[in-house]
Amino acid sequence: MTQISPLNFVHKVGKFGDHEGKNKNDLLKVSEVNGLLIFQIAQYKNSSFDISKIKLDGLSLPSSLNSTSNLNTRILWFGPNCWLVFSSDLDLIEKEKNQFSETVFAITDISHSRTIIELEGSLVNEVLKKGCPLDISSLKAGDCANSVYNGVTITIDFISENPKKVRILGLRSFGESLHHSITDACLEFGYKAI
Amino acid sequence: MLYIKCPFCGYRSQKEFAYGGDGTVKRPELNQDISDEKWNEFVYLRKSPRGKHVELWHHVAGCRQWFKVQRDTVTHEIFQTTKMNEEIK
Repeated sequence: MTQISPLNFVHKVGKFGDHEGKNKNDLLKVSEVNGLLIFQIAQYKNSSFDISKIKLDGLSLPSSLNSTSNLNTRILWFGPNCWLVFSSDLDLIEKEKNQFSETVFAITDISHSRTIIELEGSLVNEVLKKGCPLDISSLKAGDCANSVYNGVTITIDFISENPKKVRILGLRSFGESLHHSITDACLEFGYKAI
Repeated sequence: MLYIKCPFCGYRSQKEFAYGGDGTVKRPELNQDISDEKWNEFVYLRKSPRGKHVELWHHVAGCRQWFKVQRDTVTHEIFQTTKMNEEIK
């Protein structure tokens, strides 16, 4: 089955906004991340299973408002007893399913239902502040937070500090609106869509 | 704009939350006889006090958990927030 990316019709490559006369290395970079396996792990409330025993692609399940990651996989805390996993290893669920008893965990593949927009550059915080009520400056690499961006529910994954890089995740159905909101916020600074 | 302390995520803007109504309503015990009047009271009647009130809120754009908030309905001051299985003191 052919998979069409959520931003296929709106994400255009090029330079936009107030980019003229600026060093291309200083421009914000906006890109769509696709082709990842995305799944949710939910631990049933009545379960007393010790989650420290879980190692998913060598990573433990993170505590509140944190993430764990390696080159292929990122795991975000999504709520109490709930985590979101992104991986470029498309067989990860198959490989690791033995760790997750059906009586303790619900594993749901949601790869088809999320939009991921990656922002990179020193002005990322300024773009986020325009639409998100979080105290953005207090968040650092390895943090993650669920919030809203101009009314659209999002998850922000803070990937690195230098260069400043974040991923913004939204529902696929809100993808185009979210992309318009974010790129509108970037226009003032000038951005390069890649 | 309220600034609400989610018991799981910490202080967040009201934009992330949805109001869930009176937090003092208790569902009648299961398998007990109950009069129509009591059932009507449970389903439809809600207090709307002036002053301190315990409410339910949902962190709908956050951790998606329900929790209790003790709030002054006049000044909007929030005194305490707790998880659903905890009591407001």
